[in-house]
Amino acid sequence: MDRSYKELLKLRRFPHTWCPGCGIGAVLKNVAMAIKELDWNYKNTVAVSGIGCSGRMSGYMNLDAVHTPHGRPLTAAETIKTVRPDLNVIVLSGDGDLGSIGGNHLLHTSRRNPNITVFCNDNEIYGLTGGQAGPTTPKGTKTLTSPRGEPYSPLRLGRILTQQPPYFYARTSVYHLNHFKTCIREALLWKGFSFVDIISDCIELNGRRLGFKTAYQMFKWFDQRFHIVEGERDHLQEDELGIAKALVEEVPKPAEKIEVKPEIPIESLKPFTLEELQQFDGSGGKPIYIAYKGKVYDLSGSLLFQGEKKMRCHIAGKDLTKDIDIAPHGEDLVFKFPLVGKIEG
Amino acid sequence: MKRIVSGNEGIFQGAIRAGASYFAGYPISPTSEILQQAAVYSEENPEFRFLQAEDEIAAAIGTISASLAGAKAFTATSGPGFTLMQEALGWGHVVEAPCVFVNSMRVGPSTGMPTQPAQSDLLQVKAGSAGDYYPIAFYPNSVEECFRLTATAFNVAEESLSPVILLADAFLSHLYEMVDLEKIDVTVVPRSKAPLGSGQRLFTGTAHDKLGNVKTNDPVVYRAWLWEVKGRHDRVAEKYPYFEYLPCKNSETLLIAFGITSRIISSLKDRFSIFRPIRIYPILEKELKEVTQSYRHIIVVEGSDGQYASWVECAICRKVMKVPCLGGGFKLKWIQSQIEECLRGVGV
Repeated sequence: MDRSYKELLKLRRFPHTWCPGCGIGAVLKNVAMAIKELDWNYKNTVAVSGIGCSGRMSGYMNLDAVHTPHGRPLTAAETIKTVRPDLNVIVLSGDGDLGSIGGNHLLHTSRRNPNITVFCNDNEIYGLTGGQAGPTTPKGTKTLTSPRGEPYSPLRLGRILTQQPPYFYARTSVYHLNHFKTCIREALLWKGFSFVDIISDCIELNGRRLGFKTAYQMFKWFDQRFHIVEGERDHLQEDELGIAKALVEEVPKPAEKIEVKPEIPIESLKPFTLEELQQFDGSGGKPIYIAYKGKVYDLSGSLLFQGEKKMRCHIAGKDLTKDIDIAPHGEDLVFKFPLVGKIEG
Repeated sequence: MKRIVSGNEGIFQGAIRAGASYFAGYPISPTSEILQQAAVYSEENPEFRFLQAEDEIAAAIGTISASLAGAKAFTATSGPGFTLMQEALGWGHVVEAPCVFVNSMRVGPSTGMPTQPAQSDLLQVKAGSAGDYYPIAFYPNSVEECFRLTATAFNVAEESLSPVILLADAFLSHLYEMVDLEKIDVTVVPRSKAPLGSGQRLFTGTAHDKLGNVKTNDPVVYRAWLWEVKGRHDRVAEKYPYFEYLPCKNSETLLIAFGITSRIISSLKDRFSIFRPIRIYPILEKELKEVTQSYRHIIVVEGSDGQYASWVECAICRKVMKVPCLGGGFKLKWIQSQIEECLRGVGV
């Protein structure tokens, strides 16, 4: 067996903090193996994680790793990818971190579709804090904070993440190893936001309360609850393990039509002197002209010069070149108005 | 060329001059203009990255992550947004990410008076996030200073390896002045931290030792880390002891004011001496002690109910009088009448 993936793990920090039988170890190992297969290393890969048992994963990877505050790994990963598109960015986190406290970021980062891969260790419980109900805890499950059984339906991560293309959502479990490996590899190779929902076990703080004696019994339970579906899918049912993905069909953009104003040759413009220009100040029904960079524009259409409401800053019938240069608006405001003449001399 | 520039634009251009290449933000009065300018600027300059985040939490996390990834990053917000950013600020101090947070203050708490200026986020800036940390903060009072101090804030961030706060207020953000930004001379410090992808480090908000190993129950490691950070921040801040002191010969009264308040009371400089701290944090303890010792009366005029005044009292070990300009009421006449009332109270 190829053990070269171990160079991606910080073995000097082992033994790790996770309980015996926990599924996170399998997630870490298989992600490391897949990364090694793709020949990614510390020079081109960054691991980002949030808070929780699963959040500790990034710290055990021999990469530049970022361990963010609770719920924020997606924003951090997206930003790192934006600033450094040359880096491969993976997120290693859990269901509570991504679905509950980071739920808002899940909605919006997936919508912006950065090229990152998210591995969600979905153990349906808040493990690190002692076994409280999480966003994906199934209805009726007894936890520390739902002693009579969780009263609400769980969050359907699959439904949220497959609402509009492009998307990549894979659901797999730590028990279905080959399927698990396929999902990790495909997700890493997907161009865009890819999310792997890994059904995992928390034997100590969830399983025992549910009546399981060993992690293996929980794996068997996953086998009863879920079945693998092959082939390409648009969506997954709640009891299916598989990959749902969709690309946006590229619609060719119609070529933009650009209106080009016919350029009037400067010779054919009506000449004005500055004295003549002063008469056109809008009084007595006369039009409002101003000069700008040697050309005369008709500003009668400007609401700001209408009737008695004179502009406070600009005076009609004057050369406003200097005024406009220091004004907070640009000269394009003047160019909107019809060109009527030029200044002589 | 001289042109009319707003405080917000001064801040944005100052950041660009300092070499900023990332901005994340969320619309909020009175700093939305900075967000808009960043959006437009990033369209024209693709190397400048911009994110309109889903909330201020994401904006702040984005700023710090961008800094870790190797960009000079900044964000801008106002009091309520700054409250949401506290989590990321605490994280930024622990992972030692150099970046700049702009907080243009408005009347709070909560939504408060969104368009009215205040100076009431000083305590939030100092200690809004959990735990002990030592922020450095500057507070300009003109558009030119907005530009210069933003660039300085970036330099201080690189030297202290921490998020540096640039304070402003709603008046200052929307203050328009004739400035020639090209002629303002600023020094620019290069990036001081190796970006992501150049090692096998761990940037964690959890307590850790120098190698990045998580140490969650070792007081010795924690103390060593905290004293090192504190020492570094103090050393860097000492290089920037910015203040302005306008002594008035015949006055026995010293007015202390900063930001827009100092602009408003500057017309009283013939009657009273005025001290304006520019570096708000760490508090200018030595300078305050030196300046205040020759005055019988000290009055702090500020846009909050004595937030800076209490720091002054701590620093100089003396009681001071306060003129709190609350709810956006910064009228000079009113301030003058309050100062006179204060002085009548002590028999002047």
